[in-house]
Amino acid sequence: MLDALIQGLTLVLQWNAFSLMLVGMALGFVVGLLPGIGGAATLALMLPFVFKMSPVEAFAFLLGMHSVAATTGDITSILFGVPGEGLSAATVVDGHPMAKQGEAARALGAALMSSLVGALIGAVALAISIPVVRPLVLTFGSPELFMITVMGIACITSLSGMGARAQLKGLAMGLLGLLLATIGQERQSGVLRFDFGLIYLWEGLELIPVLVGIFAIPEIIDLAVRGTAIAGNAPATKLGSGVWEGIKDTFRHFWLVVRCSIVGVFVGILPGAGGGVAQWMAYAHAVQSAKGAADRERFGSGDVRGVLGPGAANNSKEGGDLIPTIAFGVPGSGAMAILLGAFLIMGLHPGPDMLTKHLAVTYSMVWTLVIANVITVIVCLATLPYLALITRVRGSLIIPFLLLLVFIGSYTANRQLADLLVTIGFGALGYLMVRFGWPRAPLVLGFVLGKLAETYLFISMARYGYGWLTQPLVLVLIALTVVVIVFPYVQERRTRAR
Amino acid sequence: MRVSGPALFSFSLALLAAYAVYAALRWPPKAALFPLTMGIPLLVLALAQTVMELRAPAGAADAAGGRKVLSVFGWMGAFIALVVLAGFPIAVPLFVFFYLALESREGWPISLALAAAAWGVFHLLFERLLHFPFEAGLIRNWF
Repeated sequence: MLDALIQGLTLVLQWNAFSLMLVGMALGFVVGLLPGIGGAATLALMLPFVFKMSPVEAFAFLLGMHSVAATTGDITSILFGVPGEGLSAATVVDGHPMAKQGEAARALGAALMSSLVGALIGAVALAISIPVVRPLVLTFGSPELFMITVMGIACITSLSGMGARAQLKGLAMGLLGLLLATIGQERQSGVLRFDFGLIYLWEGLELIPVLVGIFAIPEIIDLAVRGTAIAGNAPATKLGSGVWEGIKDTFRHFWLVVRCSIVGVFVGILPGAGGGVAQWMAYAHAVQSAKGAADRERFGSGDVRGVLGPGAANNSKEGGDLIPTIAFGVPGSGAMAILLGAFLIMGLHPGPDMLTKHLAVTYSMVWTLVIANVITVIVCLATLPYLALITRVRGSLIIPFLLLLVFIGSYTANRQLADLLVTIGFGALGYLMVRFGWPRAPLVLGFVLGKLAETYLFISMARYGYGWLTQPLVLVLIALTVVVIVFPYVQERRTRAR
Repeated sequence: MRVSGPALFSFSLALLAAYAVYAALRWPPKAALFPLTMGIPLLVLALAQTVMELRAPAGAADAAGGRKVLSVFGWMGAFIALVVLAGFPIAVPLFVFFYLALESREGWPISLALAAAAWGVFHLLFERLLHFPFEAGLIRNWF
């Protein structure tokens, strides 16, 4: 195994593979900054170019691109409040308020360093777990996956803020998100729900227009109304000097970063859960690990822990995603399904062969994840002070470019002009939510998890009736869900008692 | 009791939930289960919130920036109209130019330079590098 590990490293460091990885990374860097087009779509667009490459070169190119896109998505999320990818929306919640307070560099430093730690943990998980993960993944059927989504939905309580009224609003928004996820053709019965006679709505609402509308447009409006730069009147000295502070934050809250990375790996391993779920679950975990109500109140208004958690999970889930893809050809996400296409183009068959005959190729993927992330973080850290300066440019100059970013992103996700209208519609909703004090994160979490939850519930009921509720792992997950819901209240009572 | 923006927002949410429940009641049980499970509690919560907002003491009116907000939405609508008519490759530089010149009141040289930069980046990235297929606008289809 050690031989294969070293051989994998030497394969990646060969000139052809390494230079292709750099090309992929440059592409991933730019794509990561754009909302909508995302890592998965770029993988699909670049797939035709790998035909003439060797397997190691192809995976260096594709994985280099994909892993960097996940990292740089955080940059626009923090600087402009525009999620660079659907996967990096959770970083907006605390990252952008930090930028508005003049702490863009600190937030970026924290996001990048936690991403690096997350990526390394994901890569290590990939390296050591491939031989042992099969039983775990096979244990998770639809009932267990449904309970995982329920646990994610239960996290809404911790994203809602403290107090009965905040909880009420958070829960209502979570339910609205779940309801919005039911738009379109119901998969089992074929009934069209809330389609208003529009063919566009048969497939349901696209995630990216909803996300960028809800998060980015209210920020752009805020920038226009304030008439200042993003960082407002924050002292100029804070901008560039915060990078190291952000890096130190990663190590100050190291165990939080590790735990959120593990959340990312775990969600990545589960087929169909996706990176967006990983980020939100990690964010919810970061909120829940706050010490008491007052500490929790800081989240949402620029707490660095709200950047560290999602940042770590975002990249660790890449390693997690690869585990079932390589080990038995079950892709953990859309991007991995496309990568599976690359395996077939290369004449490789995921499964036992990848763990025996082609083990060096498998480990070359691990090394690609590690090297690509290390290079990205070094390059980004070197340029961060300059990137952060964007937050000092006059808002009136930046706004048209941000609007372009939003609309091009919304369009490129699905090539539908109607997505532009959906973006404006959700932009208006997001603006009203901000204005009237309704939390946006629960709506997004509900929307992301809604379709998954309904599908898994249906399969569970069809396969086991109500019997699925008594399966041992389901019972454990129910208990964990109860803990997720009850824990903040217990913690609050304890704090009051003190 | 005071009809305020927040109360109207909560009431709109309640109306939306009521419609969802009403629509779901006409579907087969399998298709209706999930929307009903979400819609009914949402209706209850939104109504409760509406009552609370109606009873809340009057807050300070926040009319500041109202015109600016409408203006941003107006520009977004204009951009979509441009895209539909002329397609993305032409709409992108035109939008940047007109926004900077008319809304931000920047000088013509800066507006032109930034519009050209926007076009350059768009062209290089989407058309040359990614070969991303953008729809042609209606105008091009007419001629």
